[in-house]
Amino acid sequence: MPGNGKQPLLECRGVSKYFGGLAAVNNVDFVVYPGEMVGLIGPNGSGKTTLFDCLSRVQQVSSGQIFFKGVDITKKKPYQIAHMGMARTFQVIRVYRKLTVLENMLLSRQWRGESLFKQLRPTHPRTEKRARELIDFLMLSHLTDELAGNLSGGQRRLLEIGMALMPDPDLILLDEATSGVNPTLIEQIKDRIRQLNQEQGKAFLLIEHNIHFIADLCSRVFVLNYGEKLAEGTPEEIINNEAVIEAYFGT
Amino acid sequence: MLRPLVNIWQRYRLGRWGLLLLVLFLFLLPLPQFIAPERKLVTNSLLFSFTQMFMLVTLASNWNLTGGFTGYVDFGHAVFFGLGAYGTGVLMNKLGWPFWPAMLIGAVLAAVFALLIGWATLRLKGPYFSIAMLGTFVAMREVIRVLKPITGGGEGLTLPPYLNRPLFYYLTLILAVLVVSLIAWIRRTEFGASLIAIREDEVGAEMRGINTTLHKITAFWIAAFLTGLVGGMWAYQNTFIDPDVVFFESRTVELVMMTMLGGLGTVAGPVIGAATIYWLRDVVWANFLQYHLIVQGLLLILIVLFMPEGILGTLGDRSATSLNRIVRKWFGLTRNGTEGV
Repeated sequence: MPGNGKQPLLECRGVSKYFGGLAAVNNVDFVVYPGEMVGLIGPNGSGKTTLFDCLSRVQQVSSGQIFFKGVDITKKKPYQIAHMGMARTFQVIRVYRKLTVLENMLLSRQWRGESLFKQLRPTHPRTEKRARELIDFLMLSHLTDELAGNLSGGQRRLLEIGMALMPDPDLILLDEATSGVNPTLIEQIKDRIRQLNQEQGKAFLLIEHNIHFIADLCSRVFVLNYGEKLAEGTPEEIINNEAVIEAYFGT
Repeated sequence: MLRPLVNIWQRYRLGRWGLLLLVLFLFLLPLPQFIAPERKLVTNSLLFSFTQMFMLVTLASNWNLTGGFTGYVDFGHAVFFGLGAYGTGVLMNKLGWPFWPAMLIGAVLAAVFALLIGWATLRLKGPYFSIAMLGTFVAMREVIRVLKPITGGGEGLTLPPYLNRPLFYYLTLILAVLVVSLIAWIRRTEFGASLIAIREDEVGAEMRGINTTLHKITAFWIAAFLTGLVGGMWAYQNTFIDPDVVFFESRTVELVMMTMLGGLGTVAGPVIGAATIYWLRDVVWANFLQYHLIVQGLLLILIVLFMPEGILGTLGDRSATSLNRIVRKWFGLTRNGTEGV
Protein backbone atom coordinates (compact mmCIF):
# COMPACT_ATOMS: atom_id res chain seq x y z
CA MET A 1 0.00 0.00 0.00
CA PRO A 2 1.69 3.24 -1.15
CA GLY A 3 0.63 5.60 1.61
CA ASN A 4 1.21 3.37 4.63
CA GLY A 5 -1.75 4.96 6.33
CA LYS A 6 -0.42 8.51 5.94
CA GLN A 7 -2.79 11.36 5.20
CA PRO A 8 -2.99 11.86 1.44
CA LEU A 9 -1.44 15.04 0.06
CA LEU A 10 -3.93 15.25 -2.76
CA GLU A 11 -7.17 13.37 -3.05
CA CYS A 12 -9.79 13.47 -5.79
CA ARG A 13 -13.24 12.09 -5.14
CA GLY A 14 -15.49 11.56 -8.14
CA VAL A 15 -14.13 14.56 -10.04
CA SER A 16 -15.96 15.31 -13.28
CA LYS A 17 -15.72 18.09 -15.79
CA TYR A 18 -18.23 18.55 -18.60
CA PHE A 19 -17.92 20.89 -21.56
CA GLY A 20 -21.51 21.00 -22.75
CA GLY A 21 -22.36 17.35 -23.34
CA LEU A 22 -18.74 16.22 -23.49
CA ALA A 23 -17.37 14.61 -20.36
CA ALA A 24 -13.72 15.64 -20.48
CA VAL A 25 -13.10 14.15 -17.05
CA ASN A 26 -15.59 11.63 -15.76
CA ASN A 27 -15.83 10.53 -12.14
CA VAL A 28 -12.10 10.21 -11.46
CA ASP A 29 -10.80 9.14 -8.05
CA PHE A 30 -7.17 9.12 -7.10
CA VAL A 31 -4.75 9.86 -4.32
CA VAL A 32 -1.20 11.24 -4.14
CA TYR A 33 0.73 10.69 -0.90
CA PRO A 34 3.44 13.03 0.39
CA GLY A 35 6.81 12.48 -1.26
CA GLU A 36 5.34 10.27 -3.98
CA MET A 37 5.82 10.48 -7.71
CA VAL A 38 2.75 9.58 -9.67
CA GLY A 39 2.38 9.43 -13.43
CA LEU A 40 -0.70 10.30 -15.41
CA ILE A 41 -0.86 8.97 -18.95
CA GLY A 42 -3.48 8.56 -21.61
CA PRO A 43 -4.06 9.10 -25.33
CA ASN A 44 -4.55 12.60 -26.71
CA GLY A 45 -7.85 14.11 -25.61
CA SER A 46 -8.23 11.77 -22.67
CA GLY A 47 -8.64 14.63 -20.21
CA LYS A 48 -5.23 14.77 -18.54
CA THR A 49 -4.70 18.49 -18.86
CA THR A 50 -8.34 19.19 -18.01
CA LEU A 51 -7.83 17.21 -14.83
CA PHE A 52 -4.77 19.35 -14.05
CA ASP A 53 -6.80 22.47 -14.75
CA CYS A 54 -9.42 21.24 -12.30
CA LEU A 55 -6.78 20.54 -9.65
CA SER A 56 -5.27 24.01 -9.92
CA ARG A 57 -8.72 25.55 -10.42
CA VAL A 58 -8.12 27.08 -13.85
CA GLN A 59 -11.34 25.21 -14.55
CA GLN A 60 -14.16 24.71 -12.14
CA VAL A 61 -15.10 21.08 -11.56
CA SER A 62 -18.62 20.12 -12.58
CA SER A 63 -18.98 17.67 -9.72
CA GLY A 64 -16.84 15.88 -7.17
CA GLN A 65 -14.40 17.11 -4.56
CA ILE A 66 -10.67 17.75 -4.41
CA PHE A 67 -8.75 17.72 -1.12
CA PHE A 68 -5.25 19.11 -0.70
CA LYS A 69 -3.56 18.51 2.66
CA GLY A 70 -6.94 17.50 4.01
CA VAL A 71 -8.61 20.78 2.99
CA ASP A 72 -11.39 20.93 0.43
CA ILE A 73 -10.00 23.13 -2.35
CA THR A 74 -12.85 22.58 -4.81
CA LYS A 75 -14.14 26.13 -4.33
CA LYS A 76 -10.84 27.88 -3.65
CA LYS A 77 -9.24 30.44 -5.96
CA PRO A 78 -6.13 29.47 -7.98
CA TYR A 79 -3.87 31.83 -6.00
CA GLN A 80 -5.10 30.36 -2.71
CA ILE A 81 -4.21 26.87 -3.92
CA ALA A 82 -0.77 28.17 -4.92
CA HIS A 83 -0.35 29.64 -1.42
CA MET A 84 -1.18 26.24 0.07
CA GLY A 85 1.80 24.71 -1.67
CA MET A 86 0.69 23.34 -5.01
CA ALA A 87 2.49 24.48 -8.13
CA ARG A 88 2.10 23.50 -11.74
CA THR A 89 3.59 23.91 -15.17
CA PHE A 90 1.65 24.18 -18.38
CA GLN A 91 1.52 22.09 -21.50
CA VAL A 92 1.58 25.30 -23.53
CA ILE A 93 4.45 27.08 -21.82
CA ARG A 94 3.44 30.12 -19.81
CA VAL A 95 6.51 32.17 -19.01
CA TYR A 96 6.56 35.99 -19.00
CA ARG A 97 8.22 36.35 -22.39
CA LYS A 98 9.08 40.03 -22.21
CA LEU A 99 10.87 39.68 -18.87
CA THR A 100 14.27 38.22 -18.13
CA VAL A 101 14.80 34.75 -16.70
CA LEU A 102 15.63 36.23 -13.29
CA GLU A 103 12.55 38.47 -13.31
CA ASN A 104 10.41 35.49 -14.24
CA MET A 105 11.74 33.63 -11.24
CA LEU A 106 11.30 36.58 -8.88
CA LEU A 107 7.67 36.95 -9.93
CA SER A 108 6.98 33.36 -8.86
CA ARG A 109 8.20 34.01 -5.35
CA GLN A 110 7.16 32.29 -2.19
CA TRP A 111 3.74 33.03 -0.80
CA ARG A 112 2.39 32.16 2.56
CA GLY A 113 -0.86 34.06 2.50
CA GLU A 114 0.79 37.48 2.35
CA SER A 115 -1.38 40.56 2.58
CA LEU A 116 -1.13 43.26 -0.03
CA PHE A 117 0.40 45.55 2.57
CA LYS A 118 3.38 43.26 3.07
CA GLN A 119 4.12 43.41 -0.61
CA LEU A 120 4.86 47.11 -0.48
CA ARG A 121 8.60 46.53 -0.26
CA PRO A 122 11.30 45.67 -2.75
CA THR A 123 12.07 42.06 -3.54
CA HIS A 124 13.79 40.51 -0.56
CA PRO A 125 17.48 39.61 -1.10
CA ARG A 126 16.61 36.11 0.10
CA THR A 127 14.11 35.73 -2.73
CA GLU A 128 16.75 36.78 -5.23
CA LYS A 129 19.29 34.40 -3.71
CA ARG A 130 16.83 31.54 -4.01
CA ALA A 131 16.01 32.49 -7.58
CA ARG A 132 19.69 32.47 -8.54
CA GLU A 133 20.24 29.14 -6.81
CA LEU A 134 17.36 27.59 -8.70
CA ILE A 135 18.57 29.07 -11.98
CA ASP A 136 21.92 27.41 -11.28
CA PHE A 137 20.24 24.16 -10.32
CA LEU A 138 18.40 24.14 -13.65
CA MET A 139 21.56 24.96 -15.62
CA LEU A 140 20.22 28.29 -16.85
CA SER A 141 22.76 30.55 -15.12
CA HIS A 142 24.29 31.69 -18.42
CA LEU A 143 20.83 32.97 -19.41
CA THR A 144 19.94 34.81 -16.19
CA ASP A 145 19.54 38.19 -17.89
CA GLU A 146 18.16 36.90 -21.17
CA LEU A 147 14.54 37.61 -22.08
CA ALA A 148 12.42 34.51 -21.57
CA GLY A 149 11.01 34.98 -25.07
CA ASN A 150 14.48 34.44 -26.54
CA LEU A 151 14.94 31.04 -24.87
CA SER A 152 14.56 27.76 -26.73
CA GLY A 153 11.57 25.55 -26.06
CA GLY A 154 13.55 23.23 -23.81
CA GLN A 155 15.07 26.08 -21.84
CA ARG A 156 11.62 27.54 -21.35
CA ARG A 157 10.45 24.20 -19.98
CA LEU A 158 13.29 24.32 -17.49
CA LEU A 159 12.47 27.91 -16.60
CA GLU A 160 8.86 26.98 -16.04
CA ILE A 161 9.89 24.15 -13.75
CA GLY A 162 12.05 26.65 -11.91
CA MET A 163 9.12 29.03 -11.57
CA ALA A 164 7.04 26.19 -10.15
CA LEU A 165 9.81 25.43 -7.66
CA MET A 166 10.31 29.03 -6.54
CA PRO A 167 7.53 29.06 -3.92
CA ASP A 168 8.92 25.83 -2.42
CA PRO A 169 5.73 23.83 -3.02
CA ASP A 170 4.92 20.41 -1.59
CA LEU A 171 3.24 19.11 -4.72
CA ILE A 172 4.26 19.93 -8.26
CA LEU A 173 2.09 19.15 -11.25
CA LEU A 174 4.20 18.79 -14.38
CA ASP A 175 2.25 18.93 -17.61
CA GLU A 176 4.38 17.28 -20.32
CA ALA A 177 7.67 18.58 -19.00
CA THR A 178 9.60 16.76 -21.72
CA SER A 179 7.64 17.57 -24.88
CA GLY A 180 9.85 19.35 -27.38
CA VAL A 181 12.94 18.74 -25.29
CA ASN A 182 16.02 16.97 -26.65
CA PRO A 183 17.03 13.59 -25.15
CA THR A 184 20.08 14.82 -23.18
CA LEU A 185 18.03 17.59 -21.61
CA ILE A 186 15.29 15.07 -20.79
CA GLU A 187 17.86 13.08 -18.84
CA GLN A 188 18.89 16.23 -16.98
CA ILE A 189 15.28 17.16 -16.16
CA LYS A 190 14.78 13.60 -14.93
CA ASP A 191 17.83 13.89 -12.66
CA ARG A 192 16.61 17.16 -11.24
CA ILE A 193 13.15 15.82 -10.52
CA ARG A 194 14.57 12.73 -8.85
CA GLN A 195 16.91 14.87 -6.79
CA LEU A 196 14.07 17.14 -5.63
CA ASN A 197 12.00 14.13 -4.70
CA GLN A 198 14.70 12.28 -2.82
CA GLU A 199 16.43 15.19 -1.11
CA GLN A 200 13.51 17.48 -0.37
CA GLY A 201 10.64 15.00 -0.38
CA LYS A 202 8.61 16.87 -2.95
CA ALA A 203 5.65 15.06 -4.46
CA PHE A 204 5.15 15.09 -8.21
CA LEU A 205 2.23 14.39 -10.45
CA LEU A 206 3.42 14.06 -14.03
CA ILE A 207 1.57 14.05 -17.29
CA GLU A 208 3.74 12.39 -19.90
CA HIS A 209 3.62 10.74 -23.27
CA ASN A 210 7.18 9.55 -22.80
CA ILE A 211 6.54 6.19 -21.11
CA HIS A 212 10.23 5.62 -20.30
CA PHE A 213 10.35 8.89 -18.42
CA ILE A 214 7.34 7.81 -16.35
CA ALA A 215 8.64 4.29 -15.82
CA ASP A 216 12.00 5.59 -14.55
CA LEU A 217 10.55 8.06 -12.10
CA CYS A 218 7.13 7.02 -10.91
CA SER A 219 6.11 4.37 -8.47
CA ARG A 220 2.49 4.48 -9.56
CA VAL A 221 0.76 5.34 -12.82
CA PHE A 222 -2.82 6.22 -13.70
CA VAL A 223 -4.24 5.88 -17.14
CA LEU A 224 -7.04 8.10 -18.36
CA ASN A 225 -9.10 7.29 -21.43
CA TYR A 226 -12.09 9.32 -22.58
CA GLY A 227 -12.01 11.09 -19.24
CA GLU A 228 -12.31 7.91 -17.19
CA LYS A 229 -9.73 6.16 -15.13
CA LEU A 230 -8.83 3.10 -17.18
CA ALA A 231 -6.14 1.56 -15.01
CA GLU A 232 -3.85 2.15 -12.09
CA GLY A 233 -0.72 0.33 -10.99
CA THR A 234 3.04 0.16 -11.15
CA PRO A 235 4.65 1.15 -14.46
CA GLU A 236 5.29 -2.54 -15.32
CA GLU A 237 1.67 -3.46 -14.74
CA ILE A 238 0.49 -0.57 -16.86
CA ILE A 239 2.82 -1.31 -19.78
CA ASN A 240 1.55 -4.89 -19.88
CA ASN A 241 -2.10 -4.00 -19.33
CA GLU A 242 -4.26 -5.16 -22.28
CA ALA A 243 -6.81 -2.37 -21.91
CA VAL A 244 -4.10 0.30 -21.91
CA ILE A 245 -2.42 -1.13 -25.00
CA GLU A 246 -5.77 -1.17 -26.74
CA ALA A 247 -6.51 2.44 -25.75
CA TYR A 248 -3.17 3.61 -27.12
CA PHE A 249 -2.91 1.53 -30.27
CA GLY A 250 -6.48 0.48 -31.03
CA THR A 251 -7.13 -3.10 -32.14
CA MET B 1 24.81 62.81 6.05
CA LEU B 2 24.51 61.78 2.43
CA ARG B 3 25.18 58.11 3.11
CA PRO B 4 21.65 57.11 4.21
CA LEU B 5 20.21 58.91 1.19
CA VAL B 6 22.59 57.05 -1.11
CA ASN B 7 21.61 53.80 0.56
CA ILE B 8 17.91 54.43 -0.04
CA TRP B 9 18.73 55.40 -3.60
CA GLN B 10 20.51 52.12 -4.17
CA ARG B 11 18.05 49.96 -2.30
CA TYR B 12 15.19 51.17 -4.47
CA ARG B 13 17.42 51.19 -7.57
CA LEU B 14 16.40 54.73 -8.51
CA GLY B 15 19.36 55.04 -10.84
CA ARG B 16 20.22 57.75 -13.29
CA TRP B 17 16.67 58.57 -14.31
CA GLY B 18 15.66 59.15 -10.72
CA LEU B 19 18.61 61.50 -10.35
CA LEU B 20 17.59 63.34 -13.51
CA LEU B 21 14.06 63.82 -12.20
CA LEU B 22 15.41 65.06 -8.88
CA VAL B 23 17.63 67.64 -10.60
CA LEU B 24 14.68 68.71 -12.74
CA PHE B 25 12.57 69.12 -9.63
CA LEU B 26 15.21 71.21 -7.86
CA PHE B 27 15.50 73.37 -10.94
CA LEU B 28 11.74 73.90 -11.21
CA LEU B 29 11.20 74.56 -7.51
CA PRO B 30 12.30 78.22 -7.30
CA LEU B 31 10.91 79.20 -10.72
CA PRO B 32 7.98 81.38 -9.49
CA GLN B 33 10.46 83.54 -7.56
CA PHE B 34 11.83 84.80 -10.85
CA ILE B 35 8.64 86.11 -12.38
CA ALA B 36 9.44 89.28 -14.21
CA PRO B 37 6.97 90.02 -17.00
CA GLU B 38 9.12 92.68 -18.60
CA ARG B 39 12.07 90.35 -19.11
CA LYS B 40 9.95 87.75 -20.91
CA LEU B 41 11.98 84.87 -19.52
CA VAL B 42 9.77 83.70 -16.67
CA THR B 43 6.29 85.03 -17.26
CA ASN B 44 2.93 84.21 -15.78
CA SER B 45 1.99 82.41 -18.95
CA LEU B 46 5.09 80.24 -18.68
CA LEU B 47 4.07 79.40 -15.14
CA PHE B 48 0.58 78.53 -16.37
CA SER B 49 2.07 76.31 -19.09
CA PHE B 50 4.13 74.48 -16.51
CA THR B 51 1.07 74.03 -14.31
CA GLN B 52 -0.79 72.42 -17.20
CA MET B 53 2.18 70.25 -17.98
CA PHE B 54 2.55 69.03 -14.41
CA MET B 55 -1.11 68.07 -14.40
CA LEU B 56 -0.62 66.10 -17.59
CA VAL B 57 2.46 64.41 -16.17
CA THR B 58 0.44 63.38 -13.12
CA LEU B 59 -2.51 62.20 -15.19
CA ALA B 60 -0.34 60.22 -17.60
CA SER B 61 1.53 58.59 -14.71
CA ASN B 62 -1.76 57.58 -13.13
CA TRP B 63 -3.05 56.19 -16.37
CA ASN B 64 0.19 54.28 -16.75
CA LEU B 65 -0.44 52.46 -13.48
CA THR B 66 -3.43 50.61 -14.93
CA GLY B 67 -2.73 50.98 -18.64
CA GLY B 68 1.03 50.46 -18.61
CA PHE B 69 1.83 48.28 -15.62
CA THR B 70 -1.28 46.18 -15.28
CA GLY B 71 -2.01 46.16 -19.00
CA TYR B 72 -5.64 47.26 -18.66
CA VAL B 73 -5.96 49.98 -21.27
CA ASP B 74 -8.52 52.37 -19.82
CA PHE B 75 -10.19 54.54 -22.47
CA GLY B 76 -12.44 56.23 -19.96
CA HIS B 77 -9.91 57.30 -17.38
CA ALA B 78 -11.08 60.92 -17.65
CA VAL B 79 -14.24 59.86 -15.81
CA PHE B 80 -12.21 60.01 -12.59
CA PHE B 81 -10.87 63.42 -13.55
CA GLY B 82 -14.45 64.53 -14.10
CA LEU B 83 -15.67 63.10 -10.81
CA GLY B 84 -12.86 64.85 -8.96
CA ALA B 85 -13.66 68.12 -10.74
CA TYR B 86 -17.39 67.84 -10.11
CA GLY B 87 -16.97 66.65 -6.54
CA THR B 88 -14.85 69.71 -5.83
CA GLY B 89 -17.11 72.00 -7.84
CA VAL B 90 -20.37 70.91 -6.22
CA LEU B 91 -18.96 71.06 -2.69
CA MET B 92 -17.53 74.54 -3.24
CA ASN B 93 -20.39 76.00 -5.24
CA LYS B 94 -23.43 74.46 -3.54
CA LEU B 95 -22.16 73.90 0.00
CA GLY B 96 -19.59 76.65 0.20
CA TRP B 97 -16.77 74.34 1.31
CA PRO B 98 -13.19 75.57 1.20
CA PHE B 99 -10.97 74.22 -1.56
CA TRP B 100 -8.75 71.70 0.27
CA PRO B 101 -11.39 69.42 1.83
CA ALA B 102 -13.52 69.73 -1.30
CA MET B 103 -10.63 68.51 -3.48
CA LEU B 104 -9.96 65.63 -1.12
CA ILE B 105 -13.60 64.52 -1.04
CA GLY B 106 -13.75 64.86 -4.82
CA ALA B 107 -10.79 62.49 -5.12
CA VAL B 108 -12.33 60.07 -2.61
CA LEU B 109 -15.49 60.10 -4.71
CA ALA B 110 -13.43 59.14 -7.76
CA ALA B 111 -11.69 56.35 -5.82
CA VAL B 112 -14.98 54.92 -4.50
CA PHE B 113 -16.45 55.02 -7.97
CA ALA B 114 -13.33 53.23 -9.26
CA LEU B 115 -13.79 50.48 -6.67
CA LEU B 116 -17.39 49.94 -7.75
CA ILE B 117 -16.89 50.16 -11.50
CA GLY B 118 -13.57 48.31 -11.40
CA TRP B 119 -15.15 45.46 -9.52
CA ALA B 120 -17.37 44.96 -12.57
CA THR B 121 -15.20 46.03 -15.50
CA LEU B 122 -11.84 44.61 -14.45
CA ARG B 123 -13.23 41.14 -15.10
CA LEU B 124 -13.24 42.04 -18.78
CA LYS B 125 -10.10 41.66 -20.79
CA GLY B 126 -8.41 43.60 -23.58
CA PRO B 127 -10.66 45.67 -25.81
CA TYR B 128 -13.78 44.75 -23.81
CA PHE B 129 -12.43 46.54 -20.76
CA SER B 130 -11.44 49.58 -22.83
CA ILE B 131 -14.89 49.85 -24.38
CA ALA B 132 -16.66 49.32 -21.06
CA MET B 133 -14.66 52.17 -19.54
CA LEU B 134 -15.34 54.39 -22.55
CA GLY B 135 -19.05 53.64 -22.06
CA THR B 136 -18.78 54.48 -18.37
CA PHE B 137 -17.17 57.77 -19.27
CA VAL B 138 -19.89 58.78 -21.74
CA ALA B 139 -22.64 57.62 -19.37
CA MET B 140 -21.18 59.64 -16.51
CA ARG B 141 -21.18 62.77 -18.65
CA GLU B 142 -24.91 62.30 -19.34
CA VAL B 143 -25.60 61.58 -15.67
CA ILE B 144 -23.90 64.83 -14.72
CA ARG B 145 -25.94 66.64 -17.36
CA VAL B 146 -29.21 65.18 -16.09
CA LEU B 147 -28.54 65.81 -12.39
CA LYS B 148 -29.17 69.50 -12.94
CA PRO B 149 -30.19 70.45 -9.37
CA ILE B 150 -26.86 69.22 -8.06
CA THR B 151 -24.41 69.68 -10.88
CA GLY B 152 -25.93 72.60 -12.74
CA GLY B 153 -26.47 70.36 -15.79
CA GLY B 154 -25.38 71.70 -19.14
CA GLU B 155 -25.08 75.23 -17.78
CA GLY B 156 -22.15 74.17 -15.64
CA LEU B 157 -20.90 75.39 -12.30
CA THR B 158 -18.86 78.40 -11.35
CA LEU B 159 -16.30 78.04 -8.60
CA PRO B 160 -15.15 80.95 -6.45
CA PRO B 161 -12.55 82.65 -8.65
CA TYR B 162 -9.08 82.64 -7.20
CA LEU B 163 -6.05 83.75 -9.09
CA ASN B 164 -2.79 82.62 -7.59
CA ARG B 165 -0.48 81.23 -10.23
CA PRO B 166 2.44 80.37 -7.91
CA LEU B 167 0.08 78.39 -5.66
CA PHE B 168 -1.20 76.24 -8.51
CA TYR B 169 2.31 75.95 -9.84
CA TYR B 170 3.57 74.54 -6.54
CA LEU B 171 0.47 72.44 -5.97
CA THR B 172 0.73 70.72 -9.34
CA LEU B 173 4.52 70.45 -9.21
CA ILE B 174 4.47 68.80 -5.79
CA LEU B 175 1.63 66.49 -6.75
CA ALA B 176 3.46 65.51 -9.92
CA VAL B 177 6.65 64.77 -7.99
CA LEU B 178 4.76 62.83 -5.33
CA VAL B 179 2.88 60.80 -7.90
CA VAL B 180 5.95 60.01 -9.99
CA SER B 181 7.84 59.00 -6.84
CA LEU B 182 4.90 56.88 -5.72
CA ILE B 183 4.80 55.13 -9.09
CA ALA B 184 8.57 54.66 -9.01
CA TRP B 185 8.28 53.14 -5.57
CA ILE B 186 5.40 50.88 -6.60
CA ARG B 187 7.45 49.76 -9.59
CA ARG B 188 10.24 48.62 -7.24
CA THR B 189 7.98 46.77 -4.84
CA GLU B 190 6.67 43.24 -5.08
CA PHE B 191 3.23 44.73 -5.59
CA GLY B 192 4.42 46.50 -8.73
CA ALA B 193 6.14 43.36 -9.97
CA SER B 194 2.87 41.50 -9.53
CA LEU B 195 1.10 44.11 -11.67
CA ILE B 196 3.63 43.46 -14.44
CA ALA B 197 3.05 39.73 -14.09
CA ILE B 198 -0.68 40.34 -14.58
CA ARG B 199 0.06 42.31 -17.73
CA GLU B 200 2.31 39.59 -19.12
CA ASP B 201 0.10 36.61 -18.35
CA GLU B 202 -2.90 36.96 -16.08
CA VAL B 203 -3.76 33.26 -15.84
CA GLY B 204 -0.14 32.37 -15.16
CA ALA B 205 0.12 35.09 -12.52
CA GLU B 206 -2.97 33.81 -10.72
CA MET B 207 -1.61 30.24 -10.90
CA ARG B 208 1.62 31.41 -9.31
CA GLY B 209 -0.07 32.87 -6.30
CA ILE B 210 -1.01 36.44 -7.23
CA ASN B 211 -4.49 37.53 -6.18
CA THR B 212 -5.06 39.22 -9.52
CA THR B 213 -8.48 40.72 -8.72
CA LEU B 214 -7.20 42.44 -5.58
CA HIS B 215 -4.10 43.73 -7.34
CA LYS B 216 -5.99 45.11 -10.32
CA ILE B 217 -8.60 46.86 -8.21
CA THR B 218 -5.97 48.35 -5.90
CA ALA B 219 -3.98 49.76 -8.81
CA PHE B 220 -7.21 51.04 -10.33
CA TRP B 221 -8.47 52.94 -7.30
CA ILE B 222 -5.07 54.44 -6.51
CA ALA B 223 -4.91 55.77 -10.08
CA ALA B 224 -8.50 57.03 -9.81
CA PHE B 225 -7.87 58.81 -6.50
CA LEU B 226 -4.83 60.67 -7.83
CA THR B 227 -6.64 61.52 -11.05
CA GLY B 228 -9.53 62.87 -8.97
CA LEU B 229 -7.11 65.15 -7.12
CA VAL B 230 -5.91 66.59 -10.42
CA GLY B 231 -9.53 67.00 -11.53
CA GLY B 232 -10.29 69.03 -8.41
CA MET B 233 -7.26 71.25 -8.92
CA TRP B 234 -8.11 71.76 -12.53
CA ALA B 235 -11.70 72.76 -11.67
CA TYR B 236 -10.51 75.31 -9.11
CA GLN B 237 -7.94 76.73 -11.45
CA ASN B 238 -10.37 76.90 -14.36
CA THR B 239 -13.13 78.38 -12.10
CA PHE B 240 -15.80 77.05 -14.47
CA ILE B 241 -16.83 73.46 -15.21
CA ASP B 242 -19.50 72.03 -17.48
CA PRO B 243 -19.98 68.45 -18.71
CA ASP B 244 -18.45 69.02 -22.13
CA VAL B 245 -15.32 70.73 -20.87
CA VAL B 246 -14.67 68.28 -18.05
CA PHE B 247 -15.71 65.07 -19.77
CA PHE B 248 -13.75 65.75 -22.92
CA GLU B 249 -13.06 62.58 -24.91
CA SER B 250 -9.67 63.50 -26.20
CA ARG B 251 -8.44 63.99 -22.64
CA THR B 252 -8.06 60.25 -22.24
CA VAL B 253 -6.73 59.82 -25.78
CA GLU B 254 -4.06 62.39 -24.97
CA LEU B 255 -3.02 60.51 -21.85
CA VAL B 256 -2.77 57.27 -23.81
CA MET B 257 -0.70 59.01 -26.46
CA MET B 258 1.65 60.60 -23.94
CA THR B 259 2.24 57.37 -22.09
CA MET B 260 2.81 55.45 -25.31
CA LEU B 261 5.22 58.06 -26.65
CA GLY B 262 7.25 57.98 -23.45
CA GLY B 263 7.09 54.26 -22.88
CA LEU B 264 4.23 52.12 -21.56
CA GLY B 265 4.87 50.57 -18.18
CA THR B 266 7.93 52.64 -17.35
CA VAL B 267 8.15 55.25 -14.61
CA ALA B 268 9.85 58.01 -16.57
CA GLY B 269 7.91 57.31 -19.78
CA PRO B 270 4.73 59.25 -18.97
CA VAL B 271 6.80 62.18 -17.69
CA ILE B 272 8.82 62.40 -20.88
CA GLY B 273 5.77 61.72 -23.05
CA ALA B 274 3.58 64.31 -21.35
CA ALA B 275 6.26 66.98 -21.49
CA THR B 276 7.08 66.26 -25.13
CA ILE B 277 3.49 66.21 -26.31
CA TYR B 278 2.58 69.31 -24.33
CA TRP B 279 5.29 71.41 -25.94
CA LEU B 280 4.79 69.79 -29.31
CA ARG B 281 1.09 70.57 -29.14
CA ASP B 282 1.85 74.20 -28.39
CA VAL B 283 3.97 74.34 -31.51
CA VAL B 284 1.37 72.52 -33.61
CA TRP B 285 -1.42 74.74 -32.32
CA ALA B 286 0.55 77.85 -33.04
CA ASN B 287 1.39 76.79 -36.57
CA PHE B 288 -1.41 74.53 -37.82
CA LEU B 289 -4.48 75.61 -35.89
CA GLN B 290 -6.98 74.06 -38.29
CA TYR B 291 -5.12 70.82 -38.71
CA HIS B 292 -3.87 70.21 -35.21
CA LEU B 293 -6.01 67.11 -34.73
CA ILE B 294 -4.76 65.68 -38.02
CA VAL B 295 -1.18 66.27 -36.96
CA GLN B 296 -1.91 64.75 -33.57
CA GLY B 297 -3.48 61.67 -35.18
CA LEU B 298 -0.58 61.32 -37.57
CA LEU B 299 1.80 61.44 -34.66
CA LEU B 300 -0.07 58.64 -32.90
CA ILE B 301 0.11 56.48 -36.04
CA LEU B 302 3.84 57.12 -36.35
CA ILE B 303 4.42 56.19 -32.71
CA VAL B 304 2.53 52.92 -33.07
CA LEU B 305 4.33 52.05 -36.31
CA PHE B 306 7.90 52.99 -35.53
CA MET B 307 8.26 53.07 -31.80
CA PRO B 308 5.61 50.91 -30.18
CA GLU B 309 7.76 50.73 -27.04
CA GLY B 310 7.97 54.51 -26.79
CA ILE B 311 10.99 56.74 -26.37
CA LEU B 312 12.41 54.80 -23.43
CA GLY B 313 11.78 51.43 -25.03
CA THR B 314 13.46 52.58 -28.22
CA LEU B 315 16.53 53.59 -26.23
CA GLY B 316 16.48 50.28 -24.36
CA ASP B 317 17.63 46.90 -25.56
CA ARG B 318 14.37 45.01 -25.23
CA SER B 319 12.79 46.49 -28.28
CA ALA B 320 13.11 44.88 -31.69
CA THR B 321 11.98 47.72 -33.94
CA SER B 322 14.16 48.94 -36.77
CA LEU B 323 14.20 52.42 -35.22
CA ASN B 324 15.54 50.89 -32.04
CA ARG B 325 18.40 49.27 -33.93
CA ILE B 326 19.26 52.54 -35.67
CA VAL B 327 19.13 54.55 -32.44
CA ARG B 328 21.24 52.00 -30.62
CA LYS B 329 23.81 52.00 -33.39
CA TRP B 330 24.00 55.79 -33.61
CA PHE B 331 24.21 56.41 -29.92
CA GLY B 332 26.29 53.36 -29.18
CA LEU B 333 23.89 52.21 -26.49
CA THR B 334 24.68 48.83 -25.08
CA ARG B 335 22.74 46.32 -23.04
CA ASN B 336 20.50 47.64 -20.30
CA GLY B 337 20.57 51.12 -21.77
CA THR B 338 17.54 52.14 -19.72
CA GLU B 339 18.19 50.12 -16.63
CA GLY B 340 16.48 51.50 -13.60
CA VAL B 341 13.72 53.29 -15.48
